[in-house]
Amino acid sequence: MIIKTLALTKIFRVGPKEIRAVDNVSLDVEAGTFTAIVGPSGSGKTTLLNMIGLNDYPTSGKVLLDNENVSVLSGRERRRIRLLRIGFVFQTFNLLPTLSALENVELPMALARKPPHEQKERARKLLGDVGLTHRLNHRPKELSVGEMQRVAIARALANDPELIVGDEPTGELDSKQGKETIDLLRRIGQAHGKTVILATHDTKAVEAADKIYEIQDGKIGLH
Amino acid sequence: MHLLTFCFRNLTGRKVRTALCVLGVILATTFVITVGATTIRYTAVIKEMNILFSGEVMVVSKEAIVIQAIPIGGGLLPMNYTLTELQETEGVEKAVPVLFVTPIGIGTTIQPVPVNFSMGIPVGYWQLILGPTPLKGGVGRFPENETSREVAVGVSLADQYNWNVGDHITVNNYLLRVTGILDTKLALLSRCVIMPLRLAQQVYNYHGSVNIIAVSPETGYSLSTVADNIEQKIGHVKALTEDERNDVVQPILTQVETWNLGIQSVVFFMSLILVMTVTIMSVSERRRDFATLDAIGAPLNYIFRVVIVETALIGVLGGSLGLLFGSISAIAVASVYTNIPIPQFIPSIFEIVPPVYIIEILSATIIICCIGGLIPAFHAAKIRISEVLKAEY
Repeated sequence: MIIKTLALTKIFRVGPKEIRAVDNVSLDVEAGTFTAIVGPSGSGKTTLLNMIGLNDYPTSGKVLLDNENVSVLSGRERRRIRLLRIGFVFQTFNLLPTLSALENVELPMALARKPPHEQKERARKLLGDVGLTHRLNHRPKELSVGEMQRVAIARALANDPELIVGDEPTGELDSKQGKETIDLLRRIGQAHGKTVILATHDTKAVEAADKIYEIQDGKIGLH
Repeated sequence: MHLLTFCFRNLTGRKVRTALCVLGVILATTFVITVGATTIRYTAVIKEMNILFSGEVMVVSKEAIVIQAIPIGGGLLPMNYTLTELQETEGVEKAVPVLFVTPIGIGTTIQPVPVNFSMGIPVGYWQLILGPTPLKGGVGRFPENETSREVAVGVSLADQYNWNVGDHITVNNYLLRVTGILDTKLALLSRCVIMPLRLAQQVYNYHGSVNIIAVSPETGYSLSTVADNIEQKIGHVKALTEDERNDVVQPILTQVETWNLGIQSVVFFMSLILVMTVTIMSVSERRRDFATLDAIGAPLNYIFRVVIVETALIGVLGGSLGLLFGSISAIAVASVYTNIPIPQFIPSIFEIVPPVYIIEILSATIIICCIGGLIPAFHAAKIRISEVLKAEY
């Protein structure tokens, strides 16, 4: 999936004050590449990713996915794209605590109305791919943080999306687990031709990236 | 993964809260069922009382206190004198004297709905008063003459005291032989000892007196005309048509039913508030989960349904258990009220808690729980991942 943003701007209003969280950002991400967006806390990384991942509307500017302006789509259409074409990996994993690892991975497929046997089969395979065959029926609280993030990656891949968006996916992990996660994302991206775009502080992620953008006070530039 | 499984997991994942919420619904349903079933039975029994004298004018003493067709207190009628007067009244075809005695063996307190009673009917008039009530198993017969010490008993009494045809029972120190068991579902007849009129007068020491005379009108005369004629001719009686008997109790029944509805509404409203409060708390605590569902592209109606199905499950579970406990409680109340042992009510559980009532209450409980989930569901569907993440970082 090719991602482009054109003069993307997001302004938050806090009382009388305006905060330009993302300011006139234009970027290009080639299909099948691994892109890192780096910057200090509060620089606008998450806001930018939320708009690229269709979780938030820009105040102005456009997001183009495969050259289609998705900023103007209805909420329903954006949900459909999020469900089928984008996989999300969050810093705090955001696994559903009452579901097992297997069920967490099945969930996006259930939402996409895939047949139950296919959901189960694919969820098992994905969890196997991230090395969690022995943890299928464990709930998130029974997993280590590294394992939780691997379940989250498997969930992000459930509907075989073209784009994987990661918001500080190594933020809660130690350096070893962080490296493993980055390697995993990189490997999956390469193996399946997926576009991976991460917001990160992690030097390992930066080293692995094909392209690095640096964001500061909402303004972006190539590293 | 099925939506139902997901919702079930969400509920079982928060055991204490779910259990407390379900408990609240159980208590509410139990209370509604107990009060409702007791009221239904009470009003049904009162309505039943009129069946016995359907199509007849009921003549009672002017001082008599009458609930439907049952005199529960007040004066007696001098039998022969009143019968003679009635036979001379225009429009009267037949007049059958009856002696109701209530209660038997349980003190002398007047009860609006008698638990046990005796009825003296002249031999040969059984069908006129009792209608086509069969004898249990087709065994036995009704007493054959006025002086024989024989009785027929209601099935509920027979079951409670293990009376069979041929057994001897003691009523007011008289040893009486059971000749038949009335096989009836009518609560009143099932708790009745039927005996020849003269025997009843002897047993209860009401020689020459009765408290009801059932009058059949001649062809061409309406019940109200005959009743008016009787009251004009005989000064010491009142003559009640079926409509007049209904008019006496209908306002009371309506009031009882209205109160019942009021109590049910208040209890259900409290359940609604409980379910809504607990679900709002639950949604607030699970903002991140709902935001995650939103982020991974769950349709809005899916998120909405998650909350509604969770509250519906609470309704199904709480409602079902409430029905069970409510039915037990209704039986216990009926048992205390009638002095009939609980096991005897179990075969007739659906007469105490009618199936239609069960369906009504279960449906109402589930619907109310779903309504309780509406506002939290709207809240849940509005949660966005960008807002949750903004709050976290």
